[in-house]
Amino acid sequence: MRLGESAKLQASINITPLVDVVLVLLIIFMVMAPEMRKGPDVNLPKTSKPGEQGDERGRVLVSIDDKGALWINEQMVAAQDFRDALRTAAGDDPDPRVVIRGDARLNFREIRQAMIAVEEAGFRGVGLIANRAGAQGEAHANQ
Amino acid sequence: MQINRDAFGSGSELQSEINITPLVDVVLVLLIIFMVVVPLLMRGYDVDMARTSAEPVPAQTAEERLILSIEPTACRVLEPPAGEGLPADCRVTLADQKIPASELSARVAEILGSQPAEKRVLFLAADDRLNYEGVLRILDLAKSDVEGLKVEFIPAD
Repeated sequence: MRLGESAKLQASINITPLVDVVLVLLIIFMVMAPEMRKGPDVNLPKTSKPGEQGDERGRVLVSIDDKGALWINEQMVAAQDFRDALRTAAGDDPDPRVVIRGDARLNFREIRQAMIAVEEAGFRGVGLIANRAGAQGEAHANQ
Repeated sequence: MQINRDAFGSGSELQSEINITPLVDVVLVLLIIFMVVVPLLMRGYDVDMARTSAEPVPAQTAEERLILSIEPTACRVLEPPAGEGLPADCRVTLADQKIPASELSARVAEILGSQPAEKRVLFLAADDRLNYEGVLRILDLAKSDVEGLKVEFIPAD
């Protein structure tokens, strides 16, 4: 089309390359977003109606992997250091919220012990993190 | 593309193409915002543990407590339950009565639905041997019909 009209000026901006670049960026984000998640990969339990727990930033993330090992944010901690590490992780946050990401294959015992430890470290209440059954959400972490 | 060019200069021709550029801009920005935020949102259940001290829970005497206990003999979820939901033969004990898990949400709603918000507390005694996912699914079921239900874990005996 342009060959025939080469004498006239093209007044509109050609947005096709812009859209291309933005779409590629989007795809990169889609692929990278799961990697940005804190903590180990945990096969979260699937339930039908888990409530909103908000953004994971600003929370102390306690993960319990399928071998029962405890993690605080990105770091694996030994059971005896757990309480001190938890207080350190909460820092000077006046109202720290602790959430537990427990593996679906664990026994309830491991979760209960972690909840007791969280409680004994001085935190009131925890959030037990789950995936909505059938929804995508954290499904990428479910290998 | 061909039409745009003449539209401004002459004024006599109509612009027959819709300008989709602002639309595309807005949609892409929205997409990026969603892409960044959505994977960081979490879902789950707020729960409490019974205080380790003997401090009583306010507004709730021992007799008034609605206790849901899950026994591994009555509800065999020692492994992650297959598919969605719970095994069909799963039975739980609510206020000392054995009921099928399928009736749980209706029974909890019946007992706690009319209570004031601060008394909507379900005490959950789950056996240590149970599978965590099974326990969460029962918790999900118990919470599903009552708004603002608080859940407090108590030791199973």
